[in-house]
Order: sequence, then structure tokens, then C-alpha cells
Amino acid sequence: MPATVGLELRSWAPLLALIVSCVGFGLAAPGFATVENLWTIADRSAIPLILAVGTTFIILQGSIDLSIEGVMAASSLTFAMCVLNNRTGLDLGLFSLVLATCAGAGLGLLTGLVTACLRVPSFMVTLGVWSASMGIAMLLSGDQPPLIKDPMLRALGLGRSLAVPNLFLVAVAVVLLGYILQSYTRFGRYSMVIGGGEDMARLLGLPVDGYKVLAFAFGGLLSGLGGALESARIGLGHVDVGAGQMFATITAVVIGGTSLGGGRGGVLQSALGTLTLAVLTNGMIFVGISPYAQKSVQGALILLAALVTTWPLRSRLRIVK
Amino acid sequence: MTRAMSCPAAMTACVAGIVIAATPAVAAEPICDKSEIRLVNSMREIAQPYHANLDKGGRLFAAWAGLKNYVLQLNQGDSDKQISLMRLLVAANPRCTVFNVEPNADLVVKPMVDAANRSGAWIVTHWAHNEGLHPFDGNDHWIAHVAVDSLEAGVAISTRLVDAMGRTGGVVALQGRLDTDPARKRFAGLQQVLQHTPGVTLLDQQTANWDRTAAFPIMQTWLTKYGGRIKGVWAANDDMALGALEALRAVGLAGKIPVVGVDGIPEAIAAVEKGEMVATVSSDAYYQGSIGLAMGTCVLTGQVPLPASWPKEHREFYLRLVVITHDNAAQYLREPQPETYVGDWQCDKLWSRSTGKAF
Amino acid sequence: MTEPVLHVEKLSKSFAGVRALDDVSLDVRPREVLGLVGENGAGKSTLLKVLAGVLRADRGRIIVRGMPVSPVNVVAAAAAGIGIVFQEQAVLPNVTVAENILLGHERPALRAGFYDWPRLYALAAAQLDKLGAKISPSAPTATLSFAERQMVEIARALAIEERTRHEPIILFDEPTSMLDANGTETVLEQIERLRRRASVVFVSHRLDEVLRVSDRVCVMVNGRCVATRDRAMCNVADLQRLMLGRELDAKYQRQPLSAHGPKVRLSVRALGRRNSYHGVSFELHAGEVLGISELAGSGVQSLCRTLFGAERADTGEIVLDGRSVRLREPADAVGLGIGYVPAERRLEGIVGGFGVRENMTLAHLDEIRRGPFIHLAGERQVVKSWIERMRIRTPTADTPAHDLSGGNQQKVVLAKWLVGRKLKVLILDHPSRGLDVGAKAELFALIREFARAGLGVLLVADTVEEVMALSDSIIVMKDGVVSGRFPASAAKPSRLQILERMV
Repeated sequence: MPATVGLELRSWAPLLALIVSCVGFGLAAPGFATVENLWTIADRSAIPLILAVGTTFIILQGSIDLSIEGVMAASSLTFAMCVLNNRTGLDLGLFSLVLATCAGAGLGLLTGLVTACLRVPSFMVTLGVWSASMGIAMLLSGDQPPLIKDPMLRALGLGRSLAVPNLFLVAVAVVLLGYILQSYTRFGRYSMVIGGGEDMARLLGLPVDGYKVLAFAFGGLLSGLGGALESARIGLGHVDVGAGQMFATITAVVIGGTSLGGGRGGVLQSALGTLTLAVLTNGMIFVGISPYAQKSVQGALILLAALVTTWPLRSRLRIVK
Repeated sequence: MTRAMSCPAAMTACVAGIVIAATPAVAAEPICDKSEIRLVNSMREIAQPYHANLDKGGRLFAAWAGLKNYVLQLNQGDSDKQISLMRLLVAANPRCTVFNVEPNADLVVKPMVDAANRSGAWIVTHWAHNEGLHPFDGNDHWIAHVAVDSLEAGVAISTRLVDAMGRTGGVVALQGRLDTDPARKRFAGLQQVLQHTPGVTLLDQQTANWDRTAAFPIMQTWLTKYGGRIKGVWAANDDMALGALEALRAVGLAGKIPVVGVDGIPEAIAAVEKGEMVATVSSDAYYQGSIGLAMGTCVLTGQVPLPASWPKEHREFYLRLVVITHDNAAQYLREPQPETYVGDWQCDKLWSRSTGKAF
Repeated sequence: MTEPVLHVEKLSKSFAGVRALDDVSLDVRPREVLGLVGENGAGKSTLLKVLAGVLRADRGRIIVRGMPVSPVNVVAAAAAGIGIVFQEQAVLPNVTVAENILLGHERPALRAGFYDWPRLYALAAAQLDKLGAKISPSAPTATLSFAERQMVEIARALAIEERTRHEPIILFDEPTSMLDANGTETVLEQIERLRRRASVVFVSHRLDEVLRVSDRVCVMVNGRCVATRDRAMCNVADLQRLMLGRELDAKYQRQPLSAHGPKVRLSVRALGRRNSYHGVSFELHAGEVLGISELAGSGVQSLCRTLFGAERADTGEIVLDGRSVRLREPADAVGLGIGYVPAERRLEGIVGGFGVRENMTLAHLDEIRRGPFIHLAGERQVVKSWIERMRIRTPTADTPAHDLSGGNQQKVVLAKWLVGRKLKVLILDHPSRGLDVGAKAELFALIREFARAGLGVLLVADTVEEVMALSDSIIVMKDGVVSGRFPASAAKPSRLQILERMV
């Protein structure tokens, strides 16, 4: 196991934040600290976890992906139109999941090629892909979003296996996969290298561009998977299926300790950040914070979490952007 | 008749009298040629069935009236965008343009009315606007405001909800976008009904911003928090109601706990028919999406006089709402036919669904 | 006479009109250490970079073992058997030591594409053992000290050995300039050991080191190799003469001490910072050069940064011109007239993208402004005079600073502080690092000159010789405390006396 995932004090901060939030909410509201709520939070965090894994590799490399919501929308529509639905005559079952995921991967591949080979900043490329894929989704949706009628896939989205929500099981598998990739493959380690010193990496002859494309394709793949699974859960293909996820994912990744500048952080850290955010949202409902105040409270808590995570790093001369 | 009135004089007087009497029916010169008329439907998005039907209604009208120039403006929930899209379009040929507007938020109405007044374009608004603003206060290009009594809608669905709950138990409420009149008034309707129903308590309320995907996790959390205490689910629109319904389905409670919403989208009507929802209210999206365009066309073709001369209750009126429950769901399940609405689009029947003045 | 393993033939390279390499030709024989010396800007670094594939030559040929090679990048050069250890650190701080050493060549430690970490660590450890370095392969590189990172970089170059069929050619671009006596010793030993199975080109400013390990020495002047001597046939003075074309008299002799008044510029009382140093007290007078002699880990770096406001002391007091001061941040120090020339020039001294002019006036914009605007003509004048005065070799005043040679960069950094008229104290942290003999002499002459004008200079020098030659008074630090004091009034200390307080 590489030592960088190890025991620096800094990397304990996100876990601490999560534990503190759980304990805090548990004390403030009865009913929060129950097994049933645990699974509710798990279910709620499933799709964000999947998205966070994909985004982590991109951010580790020092790039950014703003296209999550668009890709989710496109894959959601693709998925809904391929399964048994009320608009098209197709009934491709689980294969639709593969198709939708591939659609996401394709969009990610496009993003990667434009970013790495045409040298356009990822910020701009992913903004464009966001709009473009949202447009594709709207075209597919037309005036009537396709309703999913396939019972097996609805059960996948809504159901549980041995009391654990299915989607959470998928999310855990994805996180595990992400961790293995990050710590045991060149894709993962070189992503760190690229984020820590891209010039150096190029100088030493590493195929930086190839790994950048791979990171975006992987991110798109997971966004596609997330969009399809969310559709299975709510029962239709919808352009708004990813609404709000972009900011939420980036926030979660940052709270977890993955630096937006690249080269620091990881999949497990992002997962912790995602869980913390899910606990926060769920906890606020339990505590009974009025919807009018929730956004402010959420913002304050995120600031606090970011402060706690970066406190050990502060030094007079550290550059903060 | 005295011998002083000669026959020709009488004849002339008669004809004049008939002409004068008939004048209101033949109001004005046509302002535009039919080929010049441009119809615009301005709404939030097209992905939600309610809005999709607004658009469909508009297109149905255009096809029926033989007008080729139909424009759809989507603002994706951005108020500024809704206003600037209108301004963009009135830069060219405003005189013959009619806007039928579903406002993203109450505050867009005034800027859009001002734009119409300044440019000479025509506008019909729906739902609600800010206090103190009225078409008949000199806003001559603001043809009409088709108000929806959201309080009435809220009361209607809340009554049916508490009845279905047996007038006892806990209710959770999913609110719409908190800065819109429909959201506020519908929720007020719920609160009004609850006041008169001591056996029912409001356990919790959250906003899901009209969105199904946002409603799902909120409902999920509520189910965990309140468990069996939830006996009814109130949602300010059908999309959120359906999202909550899926969360209920996940724990096997779909159809066992009454759910209500507003809008009357086909999916909701189907759910009502199936028994998974108890009631929804339809303002009839097809009607709302077309009536403004019909009014505008009647004005532009000269078939009705200019709005400045209309009585106040024709400028601002409440739209008749239909409450859909299990009893009448079946008849609303079918795709509506243009024939249903042609009657409403006739220039002399434009106010057939009015239930009275809205000011 | 065996065939050369590396034959460089008429290599030329220009940067923006400046001829860095001018038809340079030289040979490296198998299993020999070739020392490469020359003034700053003579082209040594450029030559190494061309050989290692970092830069591409405009003209000329490189022939390795009779076969022409054209290293288009570092990987190609490594495949040809040429590896380089950079002067400025090229290790990645956010991955492990092992990954740095084996970067790009992890295949032997991969199983079906997955990292076999124990094997990777073992491979890396093998390289580190060659150096005798006690560094753990699994350590995050960011936790390593500067010297340890240098070791890692050397280990990375050494790793080429494992991959080429033939013996590699390893280029060392001033590997010892950042190291202390212990570190230098280790590197030189390693180079000796390498000789048994590789050829080495060794660039350094320390002529005595070069003569110690090299078999032959090539002297470069203005982009060409003007002379090659066998080690036995020359000494330091010869080399200097060849480099500079003239005798360098009296190196950097200590000038007889001018009577500096009793005025105390800087007084440090019982200064302490947890885990760095404690109980440090001394006085710096106007016109005095106070030299600090130390080994790595003595806490001097931290002390200098504290005096500049970049770190905070936990205990003690700093008194400037009689007034106790609190330095919350560097801006406070600058405002009070304290300047700091940092050890890591590239990272902390210059703004690489800025031109010479902008770098120079950066810290003291007040001197050249009129109202809210920078008085450009005045700035140009000031800069021009400083370039002349300090003999900074640069094509123009607006040349980006990172294009200058190390020595000239250092002069720019120094000028940056001297531009300020109310400078009271100047802290120099290893200022002559990476400077050749000629540049060093110039630098120290300048420092003496400014000290005499009333400046108080705190000098942390590279070698004991420097400290002895330059300083009026000397303190020795070891493990965070002052272990020896040689005030100006006392007799000049001997090398031994200083050394024994350092270790």
C-alpha cells in the first residue's frame, strides 16, 4: 500500500468531520442515529459517491469537470429509451445500462481528446460538453419524458438486498474499484504525478495526454452510470436528473481533502466528503432546520469543513488561490 | 310615428341603428395581416409534462388558426433569461407579436409588460404577478392576465387529502419554489384546511423546487424520521408528488398513503386512476398554452376591439379549475383533441372559462 | 587509448540570440569521470541538457559508442544510456520516493498492470543502497529534506543502470552545490563507485571537488571547451586561470576590518522556535558581516526565515536599531529594512517569468514610483546602473529571469534588495550556491562594499573557507543552539576550531 494514503494528520480531518457531524446530529435529533436512517443516508449518497470517484481522478490531475449534469441527462434519456418504456418499443433490460454508461464514456472521451490534444482548458471544454449533452438529452426527451416500465430495473433502483440499498452496493463497488485504480495502477499513480508536476512528467517522457484522456473518459463513464441508475430509481428519463450534482460533487471532493490544484487527495477522501455532505443534508431535515434557512446553514457548514480540512496546511507563505 | 318622419329617414335611422348596434361585434381594423402574426409561448422548460402540454396547446392553436409563425422560448428557471429573451424578440417586428407567458417568478411580469408597452408587442400572462399591478391601469398592450386561484387549488387538494386520511394523522408537505405565488398560495390553502381539521398535523415541510428528483430523497428522509406517523403526502405540484410516490414505492407504501399534487399532468391522472394519488387539480395546460395566443390573434385580426376598451373583468379574471379525483379521472386520461378547445378559441367565447374578476 | 564512449562533435545551441553552445566538442572515455568547469554562462548546464534530451541542439552530432544518437527527449536519452541528475530539484513531492526513482519505468514491478508495491520498494531500495542513503522507499517525498531529495534524484539517474545493456553515462549538474559536507562526501564517494561501471560527466563550481574525483577536466568558456587537462597535470589555480583568462588575486580575502561603530543594527535575544532552534542570541553591528557556519539541520534556515518574518518565534525578542519589533509577515520585515536572499533561488528568490528589471525593483517599488504610477524612465535608469555595477550578464533588461544562468539570477536577487535605500540588515542564505569562482568573488566584493556603507549583513555561507574569509565575526550553530562564537575583536579562528564546533 503506498504510504501517501497513510497516516498524515491532515488526512484524518475529513473522517473527523464526518464523525463530528454524525455525533452532532445524533445528539440534536432523536431518530437520526438509527440503522434505518443509516441506510437512508447510504441510499441518498449512492449516486454522489459514484460521481465523486470519477471526478476525483480528473481533479487529481489538476483539471476539472463541469459537465457532470449534462452527461447524466444524456445517459438518463438514453437509458430510459432503451429499457421497457412508454415511448419506444425497445426492451433491452440490463444492456441499456451498458449503453447508457458507454454514452457517458463517449462524451468523456470527447472531452478528454479536446482538452489534451487540442490543449483547450478543461474548464471551458467541460462547460461546452455540459450544454451540448444537455441539448442531446432535451432532444431525446422531446415533450414527453420516457417513463420506465421495466420492473427489474425499477427494483434495482428502489430495492434492497439484505437490507442494504442496491444502489449503495453499486456505489461501494465503484469506490473500491476507484481505490484500486488509484493505488495500484499506473492510471492512478500517474494521475497524482501529473497533478503534482505536469512539466516534470512530460520532461520524463510520461504519456501525459493519454492519461488525461483516460481520466475524462472514466469520469464520463461514471457520470453515465450515475445518470442511468438515478433514472432507474425515479422511474423516468429526465433532463434534470443531475440537477445540482456538479457543485455538490466538487464540494464533496474538496471537503474530503482533494485539492482543486491537483496532486493531493484521493478516492477515499472524496468518498468521505460525499458522505459528510449527505449526512449534513439529511441531518438538517432531522433537526428541523427550516427550508428557508437550509441553504445558509449548508454554506456555513461547508465553509467550516473546508477550514478544518485545510487548517493543518496553513502557513504564512502558503499560496492560496 | 308622426307624419314628420318620412320613410327614407326612418329607413336610414333603422339602418344606422342596426349598424351602431352591431358595432361592438366588428371592433377594429385588423392591425396585422395573418401572415405577419408571430405567436410566442414563454415558459420555463419543456421537460416537465405540464410545460410540454403548454407548448402542445400553443401549437394546436397555431395549426388550427393557420398561423405558421410559432416560437417557443425556454428560460430554464432563469428569470433574467425570460425577460431578455422577450426583449430580444421585440427588437424586430413587435407590432404583430403575441406573447403568452408562464412567469418563472412573480417579479418577471412587470419588466415584460413594460417591454410590451414600449415596443408595441402584445402580452398575456398567467398565474400571478406582484401586488398593485393591473392590465387595466394603462397597460394597453397587456391584453389580459389569466389568474389562477392557487389558494383555491391548494384548498381543493388539501380537503381531499384530509378526507382520504380520515381526518386524522400526520401530513408532510413538499413546497414549490418559495418565491412564486402558486407555491405560497397553495401552501396557504393547506394551512387553511389544517386549521379547520384539528385531527391532522403538519409534521414537516421542505421545498423541492417543483422537481421530482429533489422530492425523492426528501421523502425518503421523512419516511425514516417519521415512519408510521405519516398518513398523507401533500405536494405543490404533480412532479414532486410523483417523486414522493416513488419513495413510497420503494418501501411498499405506494397506494397505501394518499398523495395529492397540482397540474393534472397525464402521469398524475393515471396515478389517480390507479389509486396511487388521491387528487390533482388541472388548470388545463393545453388551454393555458393557447388562450393567450387566441386572444392576441383576435386583437390583431381586428375581430375584437382593442383591450383598452374591454371591461375590467375581461382583462383580469380567474380561470376555472378542474379537480381530478378517482371519480372523473378516466375522462381526462385521453389525449385532448383540438375540437375540445376550438370553442374556447372563438373570439366571442374567449372568457368562457372565467369564474369572475381576479382583483 | 580506447574509443570514447561519448563523442560530442561541434554542438551548437542558441537562445534568443545568445550563443550558449558554440561548436563545442569533447570526448568522454569509458569508465572515466570527466569534470566540466567554467564560469556561469559558459554553457555547462546547457551542454548537459542537450545530451540528456531536455534541450535539442541546433547543430552538431552526439555519438554514443560509435552510433549517432539524437535524444529528442529524456526517455530517448535514457534509452541511449544517458541519464542526468539536475541541479534544481526534479522530484515530485506528492508521491513516494520509490515512485520518483522508478518514474516511467515501473514495468518490472507491475503484475498484470497492477503495482507490486513491495517489489517496487525493493527495486528502489537497491538504488538507494548504492548511495548508502538511509531513506525509506515508501516515504512521501514531501517529507524529505532538501539533501535527501537530492539523493533520490541521483538514485533515479542511477536506475538507468538496470535498464541498459551497456554501461550508462551519467551527467551530474552541480549535485553538491546544495549539500553540506556530509552530503557532498557521499555524492563524491558515489561518483567514485560509479566509475567502476559507468562514465560520468561531473559539473561543479567547487574546483577542489572536481579535481578530487575527475580523471580529466574540461574547461568551458563561452560555449566551447577550450582546454582539457589530466587531473595530475593541473591544480585549482591553473583551472581558474583557464576559466577566467587571468589570475585571480587574493580570491576573496578578508579586508582588514574597518572600525565599525558601536551601533548595533540587529540584536537577537534568546530567540527560540519549537523543533528548530532555541536560546539564540547575537548582535549585528552596522558595517559588520556576521558569518554563521552550520551543517544541515542546525536550525539556521528557520532562524533566517524568522528574522525575515516568514516564520514566527515562540520565545525571545528581536531588536532592530534599538526598537523591539514584531514581525508578523515578510512585509513587515521589508518595511523595516530587512532583506532576505533565500537559499532556494529558483523557488523563492526570483519570479521566473518576470524580466530582470521587474525582478529587481519588485521589493522596493516605492523607490521608483511617482504617485500611483511607476516612473518607468527612472526605473530603467536604476536598473541599468545596477546591472553595470554588479556585472549581470543578460541580453537585455527585460530578459525573463529564468533564462539567466544561476549566478546572474543570484545577482538579480541581491540587487533587488540593494535597490532599497533604507536597507538596514541583509540576510544572505547560502548566497554563493551554484556560483562559479569568478562570480563568487564579485559577489563577495559587492557584499563587503555594501557592508562598509553601513549595512549589517548576516551571512550563512556554504563552506568554512567562505565564512572565514568573509566574516568579521562568526557564530557556529549546531542542533539548534549557538555552539561557538568568534567575535570580531578576538583573533581570527582556524578552520579546525570552527569545524569542531559544527559537528
